[in-house]
Amino acid sequence: MAESYRRSSWKNMLFVAPYLTAFVTLLVFPLLWGMWLSLNKVDLFSGAKFVGLKNYARVLADPVFAQAVKNTALFVAVSVPSLVALGLFLALALNKTTRGSAFLRGLFFSSSILSVTIVTLIWRVVFIPGDGLLAVLFEAMGWTPIGFLSTKGWSLFSVGVATVWWCLGLPMMLFLAALQQIPADLYEAAALDNASKWRVLTRVTLPSIRSTIMMVAVIQIVMQFQLFGQAQLMTNGGPAGSSRPIVMYIYETSFVRWEIGMGAAASEILFAIILVAAMVQYWLSTRKEEA
Amino acid sequence: MAKTYAPTDLIANRRLYWIAAGLAVVMMAPVLWIIGLSIKDNAELMRGTQQVFSAPYTVVNYLNILKSSNVFGWFLNSLIVALGQTVGVLILSSLAGYAFARLEFPFRRTLFVIVLFGLAVPEQVVIIARHQMFNWFGLHNTHIALILPGLSSAFGVFLMAQFFRAIPRDIDEAALLDNTPPFRIFWRVLMPLTLPAQATLGIFTFLLAWNDYWWPLISATKKEMFTLTIGIASSQTNFAQSEGLGFLSAQAVFAALPIVVVYIFFQRHIVTAVSGGAVK
Amino acid sequence: MSAAIEIQSVTKRYGALTVLDDISLTITPGEFVVFLGPSGCGKSTLLRMIAGLEAVDAGEIHLGGRRIDTLAPGQRGVAMVFQSYALYPHMTVAKNMAFGLENIGLEAAEITRRVTEAARVLEIDHLLDRKPAKLSGGQRQRVAIGRAIVKEPMAFLFDEPLSNLDAALRGRTRLELAQLHQRLGATMIFVTHDQVEAMTLADRIVIMNGRKIEQIGTPMDIYHRPKTRFVAEFVGSPAMSMLPVAAVTAESVEIAGLGRIAAQLPGLSGFDAAGAVLGVRAEDAHVLPADQSGLPFTISVVERLGDRTLLYGRLGTVCDLVVEDTGRSTAVAGQTVSVGFNPAALHLFDAAGRACDGLGG
Repeated sequence: MAESYRRSSWKNMLFVAPYLTAFVTLLVFPLLWGMWLSLNKVDLFSGAKFVGLKNYARVLADPVFAQAVKNTALFVAVSVPSLVALGLFLALALNKTTRGSAFLRGLFFSSSILSVTIVTLIWRVVFIPGDGLLAVLFEAMGWTPIGFLSTKGWSLFSVGVATVWWCLGLPMMLFLAALQQIPADLYEAAALDNASKWRVLTRVTLPSIRSTIMMVAVIQIVMQFQLFGQAQLMTNGGPAGSSRPIVMYIYETSFVRWEIGMGAAASEILFAIILVAAMVQYWLSTRKEEA
Repeated sequence: MAKTYAPTDLIANRRLYWIAAGLAVVMMAPVLWIIGLSIKDNAELMRGTQQVFSAPYTVVNYLNILKSSNVFGWFLNSLIVALGQTVGVLILSSLAGYAFARLEFPFRRTLFVIVLFGLAVPEQVVIIARHQMFNWFGLHNTHIALILPGLSSAFGVFLMAQFFRAIPRDIDEAALLDNTPPFRIFWRVLMPLTLPAQATLGIFTFLLAWNDYWWPLISATKKEMFTLTIGIASSQTNFAQSEGLGFLSAQAVFAALPIVVVYIFFQRHIVTAVSGGAVK
Repeated sequence: MSAAIEIQSVTKRYGALTVLDDISLTITPGEFVVFLGPSGCGKSTLLRMIAGLEAVDAGEIHLGGRRIDTLAPGQRGVAMVFQSYALYPHMTVAKNMAFGLENIGLEAAEITRRVTEAARVLEIDHLLDRKPAKLSGGQRQRVAIGRAIVKEPMAFLFDEPLSNLDAALRGRTRLELAQLHQRLGATMIFVTHDQVEAMTLADRIVIMNGRKIEQIGTPMDIYHRPKTRFVAEFVGSPAMSMLPVAAVTAESVEIAGLGRIAAQLPGLSGFDAAGAVLGVRAEDAHVLPADQSGLPFTISVVERLGDRTLLYGRLGTVCDLVVEDTGRSTAVAGQTVSVGFNPAALHLFDAAGRACDGLGG
């Protein structure tokens, strides 16, 4: 048989070998090793000792963890819909070719490129009591000042505000990209059909980008479940753990208290929660499609 | 006078646009606030931050940053780490993306699917084990340790494979008939065509590396190995006490500057990276 | 620089699907051969197998006496012009042409000589420093041809190279290709689905359909002596009309449900008329003057082309027919006229679609 130039060859694997090496050593192996760690009692000085599922039992019984899960779930439940709704609104408002909307698009996306430390620094000087922008504003209006970062309830809310401010750019850009994929003649057909703006929005635009809305929601759920830096830097989880997210629990368990096995177990639980949440969201949206 | 009917009216809406413009002002208020604080004298701010709204303004806080050796060292660390990771990701992703898009080898499809699954693994699940691994080899508090984990990201491979697929196969075939050896086809014929993609992926990787928080936080524990991101975080902990609000604000502005400059110059590439990869 | 190509029992499969089945073909040195057929007939696949871009599943291909189907594409001594031209977008025109020569380590002076010479012949000297994006479609075409010429190959392969040009440019390029072939005297294979290109360029046409070669012959052979019903219907515009046959003798054919017409079918014996059809080209059917009797033809559409007029309609109530009339035809739609046929130019096909010997003229 004659040879084809497209023939399969082990030699071609040399092209993927460098990446696969990095992939296996820095992602696949740590993934498996993390699972193994979660079944062991590991601390800084002694070696590992196999303890089965005990770490999981300890994590699940830990009231601090339970609180962190509750905080994170609340945070996701509020921040993700806000991000999707605001992102969609901005995309619809700025889906034009004018200079003004291009500038505003760039502006709304610009916060996303900052690092978490800069974002939190910005929002701390807004929220700090006495000297913060809001405190100054409240004083000028004659309102009672609020300790945004040190009051139960307000602290997680403040973290949420900073997060929405930081993360808004990505949903907006994804929605814009989707809007631009909608063929113009659909709108022309709608115009000839005498459709009102509202009907065009609900019958043409939104159905056309339904899969993107779904994708953005899943991306944001996965991202916001991993809330860490904002909470750690703005409130340090306080007051009384009322703004401590799961990842911060993992960090403190593994790298402050050095209970590495237990931290690994908590991280596996987080992974499971993220997968389940993303799948539930996916299932809900596909079910709606069939109805 | 009756306005001529403009077809775009169906899509765009002026009222929405002005609401968005109003939101933009709200969005920028904190930024203007911190810039204002950064150009005020610390002692003056101690008397109350309302002072921001009146002169005198000063650049003394920025001068203090330049004098303090820490921030400059952190800046350098960030630069080394971000550039190192960018170069590494570009090389690995281009080679692998080309192979997945164009070459035949055993288990090609299976491997690609496995790599795509890598996109779904959150950092949290691997970071503890990674920390241990780097500990075994005594790599913590080195630039290498800060660079390496980023090289395993599947995003670049995925993006480059897409770009290579978009190049017509005729070009490779013409090169084959021109007697071009395989690596030369990759390097001389196809790579130059992916330059826009390289720029997109490069800038995106640079930003991610520059802004990374979790990993440098636990890997770089010595003050002189901090990246700018971690360094700024470390000075936040003694917030508004020793260094003063003005100095702290100036630090934030200073740290944001390089990234804002990158953003202004390469906005198009950054937007392509975040939306192009997802929508296709 | 020209060589014979021999294709021996070549087969190509994609999984369970056979796209080329036991194809054999010999091309003599310096010949211009056109592969003609509908899309999906395997003509491009066959060309790409000669180039080495597709594997040969069975059979052999020889070029200039050397077996080439075992060689890498670059080592076969062929050059190809792609439908999309496939120029390297980041290289200048000169670099595009030189790239393949650099790959085989030809010395710089010789490369320059060949590139300059080819550019002069193709009249693209002034474009040598430009990149493909800055060229028009016709100019890109020339560069693609130039890239093939400089290699001084034993055979040129063209994969529908004219299909991306506009109509006027296509006609001009066709002429230039014919001139180029005369000047170089090289073996050329040209794939197209356009019969005008095939008729005007080819020394011989290879008509392909459904994994097989239907007929190989000169353009006039193909047009006047189609060996199969497929070839008869595929070549020629408007397409040949097919009339159902009831019975055949050496002097006449009985059209089912209409009556006999005169036909010269010498040497015909024992022909099975069941399922047979009689092929008539428009120019071999004509409107009879009022005093002569023929078969009744009801006109439904009149197409006036200036030099001639095409009448589309039905023959009796039996079948569709196209009749050619003069440019001054007065025929109108809805009219029923008498038509007659040129008895020497009728094509009889049996139920299997094979042409019957002794037919045609």
